[in-house]
Amino acid sequence: MRIHGLLPELRPATRTDHVCWVYDDPAAFGEIARRYLTEGLAAGERLLCVGDAVLEGVRTSGGPLADVGGLQARGALQVLDVRAAYGAGGAFYPDQQLAFYDAATRKARADGFTGLRVVAELSDLAADPGRRADLLRWEHLADDFIGHGSGMVALCAYRHDLDGEALTDVTTVHPLVHSGDGGPPFRIWFDGDVLTLAGALDTFGAQRLRAILDSCPAAGRRVVADLSAVDFVDVGGCRELARWAARLEARSGSLELRGAARVVRRMWALLGFDQVCDVTFAEAAA
Amino acid sequence: MTAAGHTGPGFEHESFLHRGDGEFLHGVLGSLREGLARGETLVVAEPAPRLALLRDALPGADAAAVTWLDMSECGANPGRILAVWRAALDDAVAAGRTLRGVGEPAFVGRRDAELAECDVHERLLNTAFTGGPTWRLLCPYDRARLPAAVCRRALAAHPISSTTAERGRSPGWSGDDVEPLAGTLPAPPGAVLRGTFGAGDLTAVRRTVSSWARALGLARDRVEALELAAAELAANSVRHGGGTGGVALWVDGDAAVVEFTDAGRMADPMAGRRRPAPGQEGGCGLYLVHQLCDLVAVRSSADGTTVRVTTWR
Repeated sequence: MRIHGLLPELRPATRTDHVCWVYDDPAAFGEIARRYLTEGLAAGERLLCVGDAVLEGVRTSGGPLADVGGLQARGALQVLDVRAAYGAGGAFYPDQQLAFYDAATRKARADGFTGLRVVAELSDLAADPGRRADLLRWEHLADDFIGHGSGMVALCAYRHDLDGEALTDVTTVHPLVHSGDGGPPFRIWFDGDVLTLAGALDTFGAQRLRAILDSCPAAGRRVVADLSAVDFVDVGGCRELARWAARLEARSGSLELRGAARVVRRMWALLGFDQVCDVTFAEAAA
Repeated sequence: MTAAGHTGPGFEHESFLHRGDGEFLHGVLGSLREGLARGETLVVAEPAPRLALLRDALPGADAAAVTWLDMSECGANPGRILAVWRAALDDAVAAGRTLRGVGEPAFVGRRDAELAECDVHERLLNTAFTGGPTWRLLCPYDRARLPAAVCRRALAAHPISSTTAERGRSPGWSGDDVEPLAGTLPAPPGAVLRGTFGAGDLTAVRRTVSSWARALGLARDRVEALELAAAELAANSVRHGGGTGGVALWVDGDAAVVEFTDAGRMADPMAGRRRPAPGQEGGCGLYLVHQLCDLVAVRSSADGTTVRVTTWR
C-alpha cells in the first residue's frame, strides 16, 4: 500500500512518493528542497531540479548541495527551467512529459544512479488557466508512473498565493499533500494499477472529479478504483462515478469499485445507476 | 361489502373501515375474489401477519396470482409507498391489465408521527392518480384498534368509503382541493440544537449531523444514511429554498430527528415520491432520503418548506 495523506512535515521518502508541497515562504521552501535533495543524494539518486526557484533555494543553503557546478559535472544534479521543461508558453503535452521523465529515469539508472529524484516548482503553470487542465493530466500520468515503482520520486511545489481553485486542482492529484489548510476535499492517486480515492466525492467537487477521471490514463482496460478511504459520496459524486464507468465502457473498458460504503451501493441501486452502466462492486482488498 | 357506489373510469380510492381480522378478511377477500374473477392484476401491501391471513384464506392458485408486499418493509416510511403503487400501475398498464390494489399504510402499531405521514400519503395518492388510468385501491383501517382521529382522517382522504355493511361516497371526503403538504408538524418537545447555513456551510452541516448521529450511538448504516440525507437536503435548501436554510437536531424518546427548513415552496408536491429515471439529473435527493431514512415528513406552503427526518433508535 502506497503511503498517502496530509504531510505536516517532510519525512524520509519511500520509493513511490509523490508529494505536493504548498508553501508561503520561498526561504522555507528552499530549505525543504535542500533536505529532500540531500536525502536523495545520500541514497545515490540523480537529482533533477525543475524551476529556477528550486536551484536558487538549494544553492544558497550550503551543505552537500552547495557545489552545484561539481554535482552537475558528475551528472548527480540536473537543472531545467520550467520554460524549457514545459514549453515556452506554447503547447504542453502530458504524454511527451511522461516520455521525457521515463527516459530520464532510465538514463539515471543506466548512468549508475539508484533512481531519479525530482523537485519541481510549477506555480506558473498552475496559475495559467489555459494550461491547468494539461498540468492536471500530467500530474496524474506522473503519479501513475511514480506509483508503479518506476524509480522516480517527486516533490511538486506550488505557491500558496495561487488562486484557491488552482491549488485544489493540483493538491487533489497527489497522494501526499502538505498545505496550510486541511488539504483538498478529495484526493486521487495510483496504488500500483489501482486508482485510489480519498475524502468526499460530492456535488461541489463533481466537475473536478469528472475532469480528473477523464484524464485517467487507465482507459481501455479493466479499471479498479478503491473507495475505502472515501468518507462521503453524495448523488453528484455517485453520478460522476457512473458517468466515468459509462465512458470506460464506451471505450471497451470496465470499472470495478472496491471498498465502497454500503450506503453508496444502496444509492447506486436506488437511483438506477446499475441500469446505465455496468460496475462491479467488490470488497476492499485485505 | 355491497356492489353499490360508483365504479366509473379513473382512480377509485376507497377506505375500508373494519373491526379486527374477521371483518378485514371478509372485506378484502371479497375484493380480491372480484378482481380474480375479472382477470385483474392484484397487488396486496399489508404488514406480514395480515399477508399470511389473506394468503392462507385463498386457494393456492389464487394466492399465487397475487403480488404480496410487506407494507411494514416497502412502506416503513409512508413516503415510499406512492412509488410502489406507481410502479405497480405502470406494470399493469404495460401489460394491458387493470390494477386492483389493497394497501394498509396505517396499520396497527404505527407511531403517531408515522400515522400523520400515512394521511399525507393517502391524500397524495388522489393528487397523483386522479385523471390517470383506471385502477382501484382499497385501504383497510382497523377502527377497533386505531385512534378515532386516524379513521376520521381516512374518511376525509378517500372519496369512497366502505364497511362490511355498506359502500359509497365517503361522508367525510374533504374534496381534492386540499393541499396535501400544507399544515404544520408538532413542535419538538425539549431541547433543540439549531443552526443556519448558506452555500459555504454544506460540508459543515453534513459533518455536524453525522457526528451528532454517531454520538447518539446510531448504527453505521443509519449514520451514513443520515449524513447523505443532510447533505442532499441542505443542498436543496441552498438551491431551491432561497440560498440559506436552518437545521435543527433533537431527540424525542426513541426518535432522533433532523429537520431542515427554508423559505422556498415546493412546486411539486410529488417531489421525492417518484422513482427517478435511471441516471436522471436532479430530483434524486429527496427520493433518496425517503428511501434511506425511517420516516420523512415534508410540509410546504407559502410560509416555507420543512423536511423532518426521523431515525428510530
